[in-house]
Amino acid sequence: MLKVRIIPILTFNGLGLVKTKKFSSPRMVGNAVQAARVYNSRGVDELIFLDISASQQNRKINLKLVADVIKECYMPVGIGGGISSIDDINNLLKIGADKVIIKTKALIDKTFIKECVSFFGSQCISISIDAIKNGDDYSIFNKLNLELNLEDFITDMNECHVGEFVVTSVDCDGMMNGFDVNLINRVASKTNIPIIAVGGGGNMTHFNDLFLNSTTEAVGSASIFHFTQYTPLDIKMELQKINKPVRL
Amino acid sequence: MIAIVDYGMGNVASVQKALNFLNLQSIITNDHKLIAESNYIVLPGVGSFKQGMANLKEQKLDELLTKLVINEKKNFLGICLGMQLIAEFGNEPEKCDGLGWIKGEVKKMESNLLRIPQMGWNDIDIKNETYFNGILSRDFYFIHSYHFDVANKNDVSSYVNYGDKLVSSIQRENIFATQFHPEKSQESGLQLLRNYFLNAKS
Repeated sequence: MLKVRIIPILTFNGLGLVKTKKFSSPRMVGNAVQAARVYNSRGVDELIFLDISASQQNRKINLKLVADVIKECYMPVGIGGGISSIDDINNLLKIGADKVIIKTKALIDKTFIKECVSFFGSQCISISIDAIKNGDDYSIFNKLNLELNLEDFITDMNECHVGEFVVTSVDCDGMMNGFDVNLINRVASKTNIPIIAVGGGGNMTHFNDLFLNSTTEAVGSASIFHFTQYTPLDIKMELQKINKPVRL
Repeated sequence: MIAIVDYGMGNVASVQKALNFLNLQSIITNDHKLIAESNYIVLPGVGSFKQGMANLKEQKLDELLTKLVINEKKNFLGICLGMQLIAEFGNEPEKCDGLGWIKGEVKKMESNLLRIPQMGWNDIDIKNETYFNGILSRDFYFIHSYHFDVANKNDVSSYVNYGDKLVSSIQRENIFATQFHPEKSQESGLQLLRNYFLNAKS
């Protein structure tokens, strides 16, 4: 049986690891390579590394740093930040990335996403969906002043046959007050592609709630691992109690 | 020496990193002579079947590998796309020929109930223990939207359950191949690679 995945997320701002709240007020949380080493020794299911300011600052991801992070990992790693060409992806795959996570470029260039999928295969192309509440609906958070509705964006990406969605609730980011389960269910109802639910995990109850009330098979988290004593293993032990398949 | 075939389909660095960890000497190459001189050939790869075959053909690696693996019986390890390419046919994105070493066809996974690709850790049902000795956990990392429908069940060394019983590894004579990624499957994956390179004999 496929196991649920608990995925630590490292967010990088060009200088160091940071953790944001609602996508702002970044707080420094340490060194990426050391963090990767710790997560590898804990046998985590997978790791995500995102340069959250590359696109905004119009620069490429630091390949040397990413290579050093990946060197520590004997599990799958997804890398995102400023990806806008086939070469960008090739460069990341060459140093051992398993998946790339694309956000900004996906908002403006569907043809490029289709091209990526046909060249690298679906399984390699993950799409980041940063959703922000807008009344009863959600829109896609972006810094390009684009008005994008959640459902429309998912429909577009479904048509591109991407491999995965990393769904982050901007409203819950870093708040550690629980996941936006409604958001995850709305995404899940619109797609047959795997989803990683992100944003809001602060204690064990939050994870139980997410997995009991949605069909997601993966969760990504950062704050809980930076700011509490909980480890990915603790979450798995808890999920095992509610009969979710976990890899211990 | 282990030759990791570089045919522009990603993922070669991870494989070499795992081999380095096991103190196994390897080289990432597309050089025909180096591949021919090696004791083991590893064909990794992610991406689409048709693109993979096109890249092999462009460098005439398809002919070379077939000569070395089928005629000269050199040890071969295929991983993910590297397992799928040894089929007779693929379908990604449309029907095309594979290397044709193992009878069967690589098909798109279809399910109304399950999410595709299969992405994550799943436990396998081992049919041929040869290289799986001493493995602590049967969970391996999968990431695929296509599966190899193997014609001769004797060629299957393990299955994985994802909606259907899918082939997760193949073994026949000097050919061993896995749909999952041993180089990404932590302890179990490293143990499998250790077993393979200790026990596979030309």
